[in-house]
Amino acid sequence: MLGPKLKGAEIVVEELKAEGVEVAFGIPGGVLLDLYEVLYAEDSIRHILMRHEQCAAHAADGYARVSGKTGVCIATSGPGATNLVTGLANANMDSVPVVALTGQVPTAAIGSNAFQEASTFTITMPVSKHNFLVKRAEDLPKVIHNAFHIASTGRQGVVLIDLPKDVLATKVAVELHPKETFPGYKPNLKPNRVQLKKAVDVLVNAERPLILAGGGVISAGATAELRLLAEYLGAPVVTTLLGKGAIPETHPFSLGMAGMHGRIYANRAINECDALLAVGTRFSDRLTGWLLDQFAPEATLIHIDIDAAEINKNLPVDIPIQGDAKLALEELSKMLEKRRVVDTGASLWVQRIKAMHAACEDCIKDVYRAGTSVSDMLIKELNRILDEDVIVTTEVGQCQMFAAHYYLAKKPRMFISSGGLGTMGFGFPAAIGAKVAAPDRRVVDIAGDGSFLMTCQDLATCRENDIPVVVCIFHNRYLGMVRQWQELFFGKRYSHTGLGFTPDFVKLAEAFDCYGERVEKPDELKEAVQNAFESGKPAVIDMIVGPEDKVLPMIPPGGGILGMIGTEQCTPLEELGPVRVFGVPQAC
Amino acid sequence: MHTHIISLLVEDHPGVLTRMSGMFTMRGINIKSLTVSPCEKEGLSRMTVAIDGSESELEKVRKQLSNLIEVVKVIDLTAGKAIVRDLCLMKVHVKDASMRAEIMQLAESYGAKIADATLDSVVLELTAEPQTIDRFAELMTHFGVKQLIRTGVTAIGLNASRER
Repeated sequence: MLGPKLKGAEIVVEELKAEGVEVAFGIPGGVLLDLYEVLYAEDSIRHILMRHEQCAAHAADGYARVSGKTGVCIATSGPGATNLVTGLANANMDSVPVVALTGQVPTAAIGSNAFQEASTFTITMPVSKHNFLVKRAEDLPKVIHNAFHIASTGRQGVVLIDLPKDVLATKVAVELHPKETFPGYKPNLKPNRVQLKKAVDVLVNAERPLILAGGGVISAGATAELRLLAEYLGAPVVTTLLGKGAIPETHPFSLGMAGMHGRIYANRAINECDALLAVGTRFSDRLTGWLLDQFAPEATLIHIDIDAAEINKNLPVDIPIQGDAKLALEELSKMLEKRRVVDTGASLWVQRIKAMHAACEDCIKDVYRAGTSVSDMLIKELNRILDEDVIVTTEVGQCQMFAAHYYLAKKPRMFISSGGLGTMGFGFPAAIGAKVAAPDRRVVDIAGDGSFLMTCQDLATCRENDIPVVVCIFHNRYLGMVRQWQELFFGKRYSHTGLGFTPDFVKLAEAFDCYGERVEKPDELKEAVQNAFESGKPAVIDMIVGPEDKVLPMIPPGGGILGMIGTEQCTPLEELGPVRVFGVPQAC
Repeated sequence: MHTHIISLLVEDHPGVLTRMSGMFTMRGINIKSLTVSPCEKEGLSRMTVAIDGSESELEKVRKQLSNLIEVVKVIDLTAGKAIVRDLCLMKVHVKDASMRAEIMQLAESYGAKIADATLDSVVLELTAEPQTIDRFAELMTHFGVKQLIRTGVTAIGLNASRER
């Protein structure tokens, strides 16, 4: 039934409210005046004015990763929309549900190179799960409902809605809150039982089962199920970067992150396992390395993923299971329970895994171990200082990999990082989104000087909106990760990675009326963090680190998971049980 | 490497073609031919896409296409299980009467029609399987082809076609 005549912009806001939107991160503009006119009088949607559209998208992304709800960002036409693109690509690559609203020039002017016109619809097509260009106000209810439906179901992702000015300004009578969906969009959640049974057979009979948890475990809300299954099976768990938090990394079965900058033991476990249950991961090159014959060569590979297109994409899979991770893991546990295979933890494999876990735990606790770099000490200190209820976001580069290595995620949705796209400048605006989603939790962005300078203008947003996040900067005056590669693989020719001048980050914070403190030695960090939290303000902690600190161990480019370099700090594998190597270890 | 023919049932919206072709572009796959037209269902169109690739590449493409929101159905029309047609219009140079007779005779044997004729050229029209058109076009180069236009393949599945 048609309702009373409403302006397009009013329809948009009504539908946003119907979808449960409470917060939007955005920046207005000429073609969005009608929409912002409606938002002006709307109390149920909190609009946070950002200082750059990229940050609006990252904040919506961080909000979604922490809350599990769909994040919303708004930008105007032309440059507003193009500035949004990096943030959208980032969210979409990591399968984060975000709905973006962009203004567009009036429909009659589209294609005329009008002021602030860009073809947002075509520009954002490859960086979104789906997008819409709305030509008639009558279509708004269906479009907005479906945008949220598509963004938040199946493999989650970004949906953009491009809104021409006249569509927002026109008054039409429409039926609000339609339920109509697209005939071509019916994501299947239910895993195939025959495949699940096959998987159980393999897992039960495996001598060295291993679980690899990706971000999909967290987005499916399947962390409890994963842990239960791991304990039933006596299977250790390794994770991807986005999978951090899928199992508490303090759990004796947790081996931490695997991959290029992962832990040596996690990578060894992948090499040695004879059954690999991979859940919600796409086997990116940063996980598998490049010599694929070292990646689980002996294992029967079981792959659970919500997206059929990910199965058999990067690695050939023995038992594909398309469906929701939570449903699949629940079913697997039930089937295992029936067979009464509860691992007693006595097997050699489990003992070896526990020894590996303990070795890492010792290393992380030993903050001032001989040969440890200042950067390592600082991140180990942070791990010690921050309690399990702190949300940590990261920028991208060395700071991110330090955090991935040494900061132990204890709960899901508490370690937020840019995985697939690797977007510098992500961590700080994501922290803003995180803090807005969880105002009662403390939020810390683990940053580098290079990354933070890309989005630091949004300190103004934090100050204005009272969003007290704490940014801890690894200040080495380098684009550290690229410098590290130049040091290791390009003969120390530091081509354009030296920043030279860097600002006084304490004064920078103060200029934004935020709290700033410098840390020259790792043992000063605890007090600085406390001061930052107690200031109640957004804060910047400037941590001076060694310019040539490296994040190690790592797999050099072109190498495989057996070929890690820089493992001198790690307890030798021989001390942790009998070493078995499968596949062809190749010198790199 | 085989030529695969994929038939897509898609929603008839602006941008669907861009989205579909963008999927191929992003994965570095060349579209050999493409036809789009309305079909028996209102609001839907059918696309027939021919691509070269291995079986595993085809599998990936099929899944990615299925993931597109506006794609309602993806059908892999494997050879032998579908009727495949291509339409060709060809302007052939004619020097004299004997050449004209020869061209017309060959055209007849292939089932091609004369769509137009002038003093120095004929326009031939042939609907057939793509391989037949290849052979016919090859033959006509002997006389001098001024212009050749093909629609690209369109295909309809027989009962045993694989539907996803």
